[in-house]
Amino acid sequence: MIYETKVNDLAEEFGVHRNTIRNWINSGVLPAQEGPGRRYLIQWEDYKRLCDKYNREPRFVPDVAAAGESAAAPRSPVSAPVPVRLGVKTNPLHTSPALADICLTCGSCAGACPIAGVDDLDPRKIVRMAFLGLEEELVASGWPWKCTLCGKCEAVCPMNVEIVQLLRQIRARCERDKIPAAIRKGVVTCLEKGNNLGIPKDDFLALAREMGEELAQTSCPGFVTPIDARGARLLVTVNSKLPFAEPEAMTWWWKILYAAGESWTISSEYWEGLNWGLHAGDYSAMRTIVKRIIDNIERLNCTALLLPECGHAYYATRYALERWFPESLQQFKMYTVFDLLLEYLNEGRIRLDPASQTKLTTFHDSCHYGRHSLKTFGHGYFEEARTLTRACCTRYVDLVPDREEGYCCGAGGGAWADPFGAERVFHGRIKARQIGASGAKLVVTSCINCRDQIRFSLNREFNLNVEVQFLWELVANALSMTPQGGNEARHA
Amino acid sequence: MPERTMIGAVLVVGGGISGMQAALDLADSGYFVYLVEKTGAIGGAMPQYNKVFPTNDCAMCIISPKLVECGRHPNIRIMTLSTVIDITGKAGNFTVRVLEHPRYVDPAKCIACGQCSSRCPRSVDDSFNIFMAKRKAIYIKYPQAVPLKYQIDPEACIRLQHPEKCGICAEICPPGAIDFTDLGREHDLRVGAVIMALGFQPFDPGKTRAWGYGLYPNVVTSLQFERFLSPGGPTGGVLARPSDRKPVQRIAFLQCVGSRDRNRCNNEYCSTVCCMYAIKEALTIKEAYPEVEVTIFYMDMRTPGKEFERYYERARTEYGVRFVRSRIHGVEPKGNKGDLRLHYINAHGKQVEETVDLVVLSVGLETPDAMVRLAEKIGIHMTPDRFASISAFMPVHTSQKGIFTCGAFNGPRDIPQSVIGGSAAAASVSALLNPVRHTQTRTLPPPPEQDVSRQEPRIGVFICHCGTNIAGVVDVEEVAAYAATLPQVAHVARNLFTCSQDTQDLMVQQISDKGLNRIVVAACTPRTHEPLFRKTLKSAGINEYLIEMANIRNQNAWVHGQEPETATAKAKDLVRMAVAKVRRQTARKPLRIPITPSVLVIGGGVAGMTAALNLAEQGYRIHLTEKTTQLGGNALHLYQTWNGEHVPRFLKELKEAVQQHPRIEVSYTSTVAAVSGHVGNFTTLIRTGSSRKRTIDHGAVIIATGAKRYIPEEFEYGKIPKVVASIEFDKLHMHNETRVANGKSFVFIQCVGSRTQERPYCSKSCCTHSIQSAIKLKKEAPSRQIYILYREIRTYGQRERIYNQAREMGIVFINYEQHGPPRIRRADSGVLVEVWDHVLHRPLEIRADMVILAAATLANPEAVALANMFKLPLSKDGFFQEAHAKLRPVEFHVDGVFVAGLAHYPKPLEESISQALAAAAKAGRLLARKEIALEPNIALVDPERCDDCALCIDVCPYRAIKLAEYRDSEGTLRTTVTVDRVLCKGCGICQGTCPKRGIDVAGFTTAQIEAQIDAALESPAPEGAI
Repeated sequence: MIYETKVNDLAEEFGVHRNTIRNWINSGVLPAQEGPGRRYLIQWEDYKRLCDKYNREPRFVPDVAAAGESAAAPRSPVSAPVPVRLGVKTNPLHTSPALADICLTCGSCAGACPIAGVDDLDPRKIVRMAFLGLEEELVASGWPWKCTLCGKCEAVCPMNVEIVQLLRQIRARCERDKIPAAIRKGVVTCLEKGNNLGIPKDDFLALAREMGEELAQTSCPGFVTPIDARGARLLVTVNSKLPFAEPEAMTWWWKILYAAGESWTISSEYWEGLNWGLHAGDYSAMRTIVKRIIDNIERLNCTALLLPECGHAYYATRYALERWFPESLQQFKMYTVFDLLLEYLNEGRIRLDPASQTKLTTFHDSCHYGRHSLKTFGHGYFEEARTLTRACCTRYVDLVPDREEGYCCGAGGGAWADPFGAERVFHGRIKARQIGASGAKLVVTSCINCRDQIRFSLNREFNLNVEVQFLWELVANALSMTPQGGNEARHA
Repeated sequence: MPERTMIGAVLVVGGGISGMQAALDLADSGYFVYLVEKTGAIGGAMPQYNKVFPTNDCAMCIISPKLVECGRHPNIRIMTLSTVIDITGKAGNFTVRVLEHPRYVDPAKCIACGQCSSRCPRSVDDSFNIFMAKRKAIYIKYPQAVPLKYQIDPEACIRLQHPEKCGICAEICPPGAIDFTDLGREHDLRVGAVIMALGFQPFDPGKTRAWGYGLYPNVVTSLQFERFLSPGGPTGGVLARPSDRKPVQRIAFLQCVGSRDRNRCNNEYCSTVCCMYAIKEALTIKEAYPEVEVTIFYMDMRTPGKEFERYYERARTEYGVRFVRSRIHGVEPKGNKGDLRLHYINAHGKQVEETVDLVVLSVGLETPDAMVRLAEKIGIHMTPDRFASISAFMPVHTSQKGIFTCGAFNGPRDIPQSVIGGSAAAASVSALLNPVRHTQTRTLPPPPEQDVSRQEPRIGVFICHCGTNIAGVVDVEEVAAYAATLPQVAHVARNLFTCSQDTQDLMVQQISDKGLNRIVVAACTPRTHEPLFRKTLKSAGINEYLIEMANIRNQNAWVHGQEPETATAKAKDLVRMAVAKVRRQTARKPLRIPITPSVLVIGGGVAGMTAALNLAEQGYRIHLTEKTTQLGGNALHLYQTWNGEHVPRFLKELKEAVQQHPRIEVSYTSTVAAVSGHVGNFTTLIRTGSSRKRTIDHGAVIIATGAKRYIPEEFEYGKIPKVVASIEFDKLHMHNETRVANGKSFVFIQCVGSRTQERPYCSKSCCTHSIQSAIKLKKEAPSRQIYILYREIRTYGQRERIYNQAREMGIVFINYEQHGPPRIRRADSGVLVEVWDHVLHRPLEIRADMVILAAATLANPEAVALANMFKLPLSKDGFFQEAHAKLRPVEFHVDGVFVAGLAHYPKPLEESISQALAAAAKAGRLLARKEIALEPNIALVDPERCDDCALCIDVCPYRAIKLAEYRDSEGTLRTTVTVDRVLCKGCGICQGTCPKRGIDVAGFTTAQIEAQIDAALESPAPEGAI
């Protein structure tokens, strides 16, 4: 039997872009023949396989197959799968009833999850498997790594099952040599060399100084990159991806800090602003990396901390501080990017010109700053982000839905680094749809993975044709630099 | 409490259906009632509904007579816009401080002409229509409101906000009823008891953005939807999308919004009613618009009530309502045209995305904060779910003696349960205040009746719009104009709702003003409404039987909705026929006979004992028959109630109280052998043992004959000793028998014999029962593995807590609906249970030490004989069929007979007790009247025509006709028939049989029926004649 369909129809059916379908056809993921009238002819079996892969109800069922399916009763002795034996056994995944037992099996989570159905799994099945003791199967599965831990499932769960916590536990139980290589390597390198990419200290310092000099010449007279400035108020970390691939991206923050007259510093050692211990489910690594930051603050006698680039890093650090170093939180203030920018704005330390950005602009919530912060720390940074964005543009539109109900970009939880590209794009289809529906031409976000996913991946896969900026990039570009040189005075 | 300080008055707080029922039962039982209502009119939530399940009656039409009854009862004082501030004192003697908020309209003066409202310049959103329509700042809550008095919304009123402005209403009000200086006042009421019927509020889904409520116009709540469907609603009953008024093609109902949720709200409980009302709304849509696709997204369809399962099944199979077991996580817009996107996982675990036009959120019930605060102030204990804390054994008693509760304040419940609760609370109050019964009440003598027998007929015709029920189809103006042309019609009037309070007053006025002596009401059915209009005639001073109803709604507007012209013509025909008939109507007097002040209670289970004890405390003599050798019934097998109360202890106390009560006589091993008589005067033959018989005279009967259990034929029951029924298991568990004590793994199988083709009903209590047993097992040894295999978990109401508790303890719930029932086979030392998992869609194999079957509850087969003796109907499932599923849940069409407990339908203990109390209230209300008026619509013999052929004697089903000798005017001894006025039910079979026209049923004489037929065949007067 042949399923005859158009690329557009198939794209709509799977909720992905037509480019994605074309990519599947061209790469052989979906074998299809060109047919009359820009149609494609797909063998029923191939189509079925694709439906199965994303666990979607096939739209087209040939009569023969339908008859065959109904004839094959689910329990025909030939095809019946081996039953799961339930009995008295201990279940190491099962540490608290809140992780699985209380589940109503209502399906809310599986309906909300953007990658539900991938590999025939979804959050409800994960919870159920954990509950029924199928731990080995779960740990061996790739799904917990394809999942971005976005927490949409958890946010909709009527019983507050801690699904993300369960998934982190599954990741943690995975043998270290079985976890995605990039994540493992990032953690190992960070522990050994101080940052995820193993950038040598001298290279980093030279680059930082050089970028500072450039900044001084272009827009911030007198700027010098502050490194190990003892007694500075604010310690700022650096995401190793930036010096490695995009050094000028570091300077947006520097420009803002300069404009605000902030007293700040970067540490020469352990300046890394990522914490992939969180993604790897490696709590000991996570703790070590956070301890390094605490040591830096103590060494440099700072009183505040900013992790400027990444949602997960803020979350991991704050989480680790609250869990293992609660006394440190008493000693210094931990800023989110939003807190700090709003403080500058409200105190008049920076002034922003909305006219600097006339494109229709929207804000994409990072799951860690939004939903996860709300759940774990009691406050999600939704309104702050919008206040700041609106201050830098003339036209703003919200994505629907957003805030607590928002969708992940598809690249969180380490997925940007993972080898599951097809799933990551599939996941991002909802974000792409939302952006498309909003009509926005500029997407602002507060996390580097979100930015990269939308900018580099979704843009191409879904023909979005949008510009993507960091919030601080938007702010830096909207800064009205005071000509009187008040900033310089304070720096001096 | 010494009797001399007791007060024979009662405060009922809350004027919803439950409070109204309590008030009516008490007022008719000899107590004065203050009915305190916080809004401007009584009625509660029910007037907002379109229809009610599972009877699909029009909600307004069935509540309206009760509203009017409350409104004109001489012993009910309705206090609207009033709230209780404080209660002091103790049982028997309370002082209640009530704050009456200003109405700004003097109810004594207001004639509800509506001029004020039509001229009021200020429109605001109407909360009665859930903000989908506008009302004025001066308004009535709804057209049929009782009392029908206008009120001013002080927040909206221009004058009250700006004293120098507006004031139009005061200028134009004909009786000058407006008073802007009205101030609140406080009343101190002295009462002997208090009933809290505080009601509920619907959950507000706008609290979170997830459902899109308040964000997207095409997301509405079920209550809003109810208003859309209602003929009196903002769209006049026409369904259209709120956003663009386009016809709706696809509707999705999302269940459990604001229920069974500890994330988006703190309502962990199940709201009990939403599954059924969603089905009802879906059915209403499907009936009106069969092409509309309706889907209900649910977790468990909870349809455990009587006839609920059939209703569900009918919706699914006959009407094509689609049911999808999936909880929808949220609603998102699709495009910008108002469409809504739902993404969910279907029963096969596949991802599905759907677009719908309209989303209906089935919102749950919760107790308003103000009510929680009031309860706290008075010292009533509340449950964690914020409902009144009650014991299953005393389901209407609060923690404060003398303060009772009923309705949804006792936990989410439907209308029948609320009505039962209202009556049950009334019964409990009656028992408490019995010594001071009739001390605070007054009886108003009816106005003297004028003799109209010698007057020319002057007929008044009252034509009802029934909102839009009639007027939406029939051209009522034309019918009215036509009626005025009929001979001897002296007056014609049209009314929006003829049954509303104001129209009743108007009718009384017009009868006396126009000298009317025959009345035709062209409206709905006499079955529900004639008693109301008869009272109206009575208060107008004419004989109550001089009325005829023309049913131009049920038999006309409802069935000919698509043909307005022919419907109008038929309405004229019906009116003409009614006029022809009423012209020959004669005055009749009911027969008054004294009532025997005792009650026969059949069945010595908990329901029977509860009813007996309550009625005995109310001062009546009780005869309780029990067919076995001991009291207790099915409760003898129960260990605990859903919230863990110990049943055996309660049962022991109840038995002792019954056995020791001086006014209760118990006959063991006794059954009813024969019954004669009628309401107020029954004579029943009781057979005790195998031979002894005795006769008992009693005024009322309560049937509480219980039910029996199903003996399973499935799941290897009786073949494998480790497979047992749940009642057997309880016994084994209680004695810690080795199979239980050593068991490590237990499997419960639900719906064994219930919800099958043969028995399409839910046994209601088994889910809760199994979960309780499971929790107990788990508590005894947490390492035990316990599995509950179910189709739908029906832990309705606050029982949801134990379902949550069970899961929290690690009990595994597996749904076998989709993949078929589990298979059981013997294994070496235990039992192997094979079942498919509903989430993983994989087979599971459980090695169980015991398998426990939740077997169905069956109707008692002995009910058939009893039903025949009392002439009572049984449902298809063999349970006693009450008079009306909604508003008469313990009564029958046969007066004086009441039902309670499992004889009515399977139910948990607390509901049996409530129902028993309600039955006691009804019996008590009957006996309190001391005498009974028998319907005079009975057969009358014309001795001139009767030739004593005696054909009528043979056909009379009530044995009311006998041959009798008499001497005629010439002194010749002749035979004729006589009719026993008490036994005759006026069925008319004799009249149809008599070849000589010698016997006629009053009100339906052959002459009247012939006149009606002639009128029907007459061609209506040509247009020109009008």
